[in-house]
Amino acid sequence: MENETTNKPPVRRYGLLTLMIIILALIIYYTVMTMLAPAEKMKALKEVYGFKQDEKSIINDTILTDSTFLALFREKSFLQSRTALAETDSIYLSMNLADSVVSLEISGVSVASTKFSRLSMSTMLKDRNDYVISSMLSKPFTIERGFASIPREPLVIKMAPKDTSEFEPDIPPDTADYEPVNYIMEMDNGTVIYVYQEEKLNKGDGSHLFFFDLRYRLSGTWETMKSVFTFKVPEYHPYIKVRLPRSDSKRIYRALPEHGQIAVYR
Amino acid sequence: MIVEETKKDVESQPGNSQSIATVPKTASTLRKVLIGVLVLAILIFLFVFPVYLVPAIQQLPAGSKTDLSNSVSLKKDPSYKKQITQLNKDIQRLSKRYNSFTSGQSYLVINTTDNLFSLYRNKKLVREGHCSTGSFKMLKTQEGRSWIFKTPKGKFTIQGKQTNPAWRRPDWAFVEEGLPIPERQDDPVRYEYGVLGDYAMALGDGYLIHGTIYKRFLGMPVTHGCIRLNDEDLEAIFNSLSIGSKVYIF
Repeated sequence: MENETTNKPPVRRYGLLTLMIIILALIIYYTVMTMLAPAEKMKALKEVYGFKQDEKSIINDTILTDSTFLALFREKSFLQSRTALAETDSIYLSMNLADSVVSLEISGVSVASTKFSRLSMSTMLKDRNDYVISSMLSKPFTIERGFASIPREPLVIKMAPKDTSEFEPDIPPDTADYEPVNYIMEMDNGTVIYVYQEEKLNKGDGSHLFFFDLRYRLSGTWETMKSVFTFKVPEYHPYIKVRLPRSDSKRIYRALPEHGQIAVYR
Repeated sequence: MIVEETKKDVESQPGNSQSIATVPKTASTLRKVLIGVLVLAILIFLFVFPVYLVPAIQQLPAGSKTDLSNSVSLKKDPSYKKQITQLNKDIQRLSKRYNSFTSGQSYLVINTTDNLFSLYRNKKLVREGHCSTGSFKMLKTQEGRSWIFKTPKGKFTIQGKQTNPAWRRPDWAFVEEGLPIPERQDDPVRYEYGVLGDYAMALGDGYLIHGTIYKRFLGMPVTHGCIRLNDEDLEAIFNSLSIGSKVYIF
């Protein structure tokens, strides 16, 4: 009886210690794997958008770090991307992060534009002088998947009356109806664009945004965990996060097609 | 000895035996609370760590930032000069191309989310106001037919202009009111006069820009896909746009 009581604490203590060590090891392993992700992403981008020497006219590599060259190259990339989009008949978005302007365009005509006050983006995209990133921006981004707090098309189903006795005239829509506007767009090149409502117009707007953001983060974490625990480096998603006035944000979301395209300049 | 005496003194005082008994009890409760807080903190950390901390750690500068060079010898290099000249030429060409997309002629922009229109001439805004666009209603029949009343988005051109237009009611206009659908498309029952205002401009596929008798609904999404305007705006737009003029709807 006495032996039993004296043996229990060390067993419990060692068990707890082992559990702590395992958890700590998992945390370290998870951190290391996720820290490798940005470098892996950059490596993949370099393969696609990196500078390739033309055998006919070899260029001095140091030009890729020249400020004049890079400034002009960035401008050219943005124009290239916008021109490619203007040649289509589709509605697209043009994001000038340097001037804090987001513009909705159709065939090269700006139909709506707005200024944003808050912007944050990945360290990877922040490096304005990177040739690879500027080169990536010369091609428009295409939306692969989107998550939004509002429907793109607010469809209302109405059953046709059988005869005139059942007919009821339409009631004008309730324009005072309020819902916060937040959406996330996953692009074909792995970049994620977050558009969040700038103003807090209603009491619940803050908590709505928190849970909307958390839901997306959780799905991303789940994907990362699946990769990490199958011994793969998880995919890293560079991001651009802007806060737009609600009305502009809603207008943009409703106008952009499901697989719409975006030209970005930074 | 002194300790023993003190202990005895303490025990002899009324009520102290009870307080001594509560000391280990309080300590045990405190221990349990501390363990609970610790477990809770660990659980919060395990949740916050992958969801918030790891993405934040990933944003730490990786040290791979491009260091700019400003070499004078490079700037004198003929191949460098050639590259810069080529880039400037490309930018000029692309800018010219891009600016050519915006017409100097009159064009109309329709915002279906806010039900607003903007009329431009020589790339300048000359008139803006309310309009009405598609209601996003889906009309369904028991037989399985359905129509969605939404204004199409994108670039359109004015394909036709008409004064004092008559409305040839499509099938849905009868279905919506529970009326029998006339078999013939040119049945006189289908024609209604004076409901589209003084002018109409065709955008193709049956979509029109026209006037309305329901002026109180301007600024609301209430139409079957057409664009409704008030009389003055309709006249100004009708006079500004010609066949082939562009209409941008978003």
